[in-house]
Amino acid sequence: MDLITQLFPWITNGPLITVQVMSGLSVGMFLFLVSVGMSLIFGVTRIVNLAHGSFYMVGAYLMVSLVEVLPDRPWAFWVALLVAPLGVAALGGVIEVGLLRLIYLRDPLMQLILTFGLILVISTLVLLAWGPDNKSVSRPEALAGSVSIVGQPFPSYYLLVLGLAPVVAVALWLIFYRTRWGMLIRAATVDREMLGALGVNVALLYTQVFVFGSWLAGLGGALAAPTVAVALGMDGDVLTTAFVVVVIGGLGSFAGTFISALLVGLLQSFGILIFPAVSIVLLFAIMAVVLIVRPWGLLGRPEA
Amino acid sequence: MLGARGLVVLLAVLALAPLVLPPFFLQLLTEIAIIGLFATSFNLLMGYGGMVSFGHAAYFALGAYAAALLVRKGGVPMLLALPVAPLVAAVGALAFGFFIVRLSHTYFAMLSLAFGQIVYTVIFKWKALTGGDDGLLDVWPPSYLKSPAAYYYFALAVVGLALWALAAIVDSPFGYALKAVRENPRRARYIGVNVRRHQLLAFVISGLFSGLAGGLFAFYNGSVFPDFAYFTKSFEPLVVALLGGVQAFGGPLVGAFAFKVLEWLISRQWPVYWPLFLGSVVILVIVVLPQGFVGLFGRRPWARSAGSS
Amino acid sequence: MGAVGGVELVLQTQALSKSFGGVQAVNGVDLAVPAGDLRAIIGPNGAGKTTFFNLVTGDIAHDSGRVFLQGREVSGLPPHELCRRGLGRTFQITSIFRRLSALENVQTALLSHHRRHFNVLRPARRLYREEALGLLERVGLAAQAAKPSGIMSHGDQRRLEMAIALAGAPRVLLLDEPTAGMAPRERHELMRLVAEIARETGLTVVFTEHDMDVVFATARRITVLHQGSVLAEGAPADVRANLEVQRVYLGQPATAGR
Repeated sequence: MDLITQLFPWITNGPLITVQVMSGLSVGMFLFLVSVGMSLIFGVTRIVNLAHGSFYMVGAYLMVSLVEVLPDRPWAFWVALLVAPLGVAALGGVIEVGLLRLIYLRDPLMQLILTFGLILVISTLVLLAWGPDNKSVSRPEALAGSVSIVGQPFPSYYLLVLGLAPVVAVALWLIFYRTRWGMLIRAATVDREMLGALGVNVALLYTQVFVFGSWLAGLGGALAAPTVAVALGMDGDVLTTAFVVVVIGGLGSFAGTFISALLVGLLQSFGILIFPAVSIVLLFAIMAVVLIVRPWGLLGRPEA
Repeated sequence: MLGARGLVVLLAVLALAPLVLPPFFLQLLTEIAIIGLFATSFNLLMGYGGMVSFGHAAYFALGAYAAALLVRKGGVPMLLALPVAPLVAAVGALAFGFFIVRLSHTYFAMLSLAFGQIVYTVIFKWKALTGGDDGLLDVWPPSYLKSPAAYYYFALAVVGLALWALAAIVDSPFGYALKAVRENPRRARYIGVNVRRHQLLAFVISGLFSGLAGGLFAFYNGSVFPDFAYFTKSFEPLVVALLGGVQAFGGPLVGAFAFKVLEWLISRQWPVYWPLFLGSVVILVIVVLPQGFVGLFGRRPWARSAGSS
Repeated sequence: MGAVGGVELVLQTQALSKSFGGVQAVNGVDLAVPAGDLRAIIGPNGAGKTTFFNLVTGDIAHDSGRVFLQGREVSGLPPHELCRRGLGRTFQITSIFRRLSALENVQTALLSHHRRHFNVLRPARRLYREEALGLLERVGLAAQAAKPSGIMSHGDQRRLEMAIALAGAPRVLLLDEPTAGMAPRERHELMRLVAEIARETGLTVVFTEHDMDVVFATARRITVLHQGSVLAEGAPADVRANLEVQRVYLGQPATAGR
């Protein structure tokens, strides 16, 4: 016991652990928002959308512009938060209809490479539209400070994420399991061809799913904007983390992504305390182990 | 592709280039040769083996860093350090490939990507050894190979030998069996080929030559950086091979030439537009290729390869 | 099947079984194939013929039972191991290397058979060329040696697959629906070729087949499968006369002289 307290002096520090857990959960919730779109798109269309990180980035940049353009009032932030993801959704729609529809029958690896091409295109367009400098968005006044949780300071803005993400998760769950559209989506993840044979317009479903997934990515980016430096290169960072989350949880599994996101969030949060240098390698190592032992992730479906 | 006479002409042109071209173009040609080797070794896996790796930059980087570390921290002369590069990369390919070849298709790609990112992150974080973000500098060849023309000849010679070896491998019994595995893994098993072992060997060979390319690049560049292993770098040999054509041995070389020349032309005028151009070309190539990888590999788009039974 | 005296059993299965989620596809099949046999395995659709083959060759894992090749147990060994131990196979859907030429197809099989397939030093083009041409000749494809196998006619592809399987110098050859998709005359030609080769080389052949004419013209012994179990086994005449077999195939005993 002594050895443990020596190695990890914080372990008996209850309040600190509480805050770390909350912080880890916030990060996890946030990762969930960002990753579930990618998982959803794969589940239905079988395309791993590498440009997902780029959509996230566009969401963040749109947030920046909207906040700049709107008058400096308390409601501006919230309006921007509402509109930015819609912009990304529109972008997703254009890409799906204009490009992805052409390649659905192709080898999945080709599709992967095409989405990689999209990364390059989108990042250049972002550079052209917003310039190379880092941008930032200030937090709304109501959430600018920090609150005291068991005596430790905790950024108020994270409370938004902690609050919003479960709401979105529940909403998603309701959509997938309580609406007809959701049922179609779940059916599509199991057997697309059968669904088409039953007269469902699968092409339209694909578009809807892709737009929805893009919207989620955009929401993630818009939410993140006040907490990170909005800069080029944020697409790559988020992509790799989202990728890890989605693979561990199981591509196409909603619950899997949720659990995995929380795990990864907590791991990142505590990893920084335990092994600051290794936490990211640890993440990739876990992802590698999952791919080796159980490629379809915690809750995914083996490619039957 | 060229025939013996064409090859001789090409070699003559390349040999005489330093007499005519300014140093900048010699450097460009050197880069083309190195990237060409990287892409050709990548294509051993993709075009001939039917396996697409998304993390090949890892072996390039392992080679580059192995050579650089030996020279900078070990005081080893370049000519001794360079041969170590492919060996280190091959060991990495063996270790990672062992797991990667157990998967097929998308999961193969994803795991190779994961391992690639692990290599990147380790290089990035292990500042004490690798210099982290700052990289390792002053990785220069000995003075008699330092001039653009001298290193150009050196690189050309090494790349030439490597390509000759790869060409021999492709036409060897090993190559025949590899193509068979690509075409029809099940039938390959039924003629007695241990498919997984064969794929692993191909992976190691590919990693080896990628590491050699990395080592050559380290001394060309004079420095090595972590982003040699970043996943975007892994797409370079893929794009180059696709551009030039994965079906022919010389395809990736042609692709390397086209890629580098285009990069030079576009980057000097409008540097901002290069990723846009590259991405668009990738998208175009994929949309336009009549059957995508199907035409290249003879596999139906959604047929699962029997490779992981 | 009764005692086999001193005759070597090239292929033998004991109580081989496999079920898929509650459906018993293969149910305790005992098979004993002596050297030189030309064994047809027949049965209505769903009888378990192809599943049985797949169990024998290790394509699917068996639930229980054992497989013996030339007296040695090979249960559960992977296909490439079985090939090395003298088992060759062709498939219901022709399985060849489509973008390689006919010659390259056979050469590759020969290279693997002679364990040269790890050799990176020599050009493969000339290796075993004569042998490969010989095999192609034997199956009547010598003229198409240079043709990319993917564009050959269906019947020729079947013959090519035969040559590929023969390249491994097998002791026993498993043919899964070898004449599927062929016209009647082609079928007889192919099976006549198979019988000839078997006679020349002492090869044992086990094949599944739907065409009864072909079966009765070629087979020395017939094993009838029904719902995963062996229903009858014996010489063609005996099997044909077997009332059970007639009922299973025709729904009622056939009248004599039909």
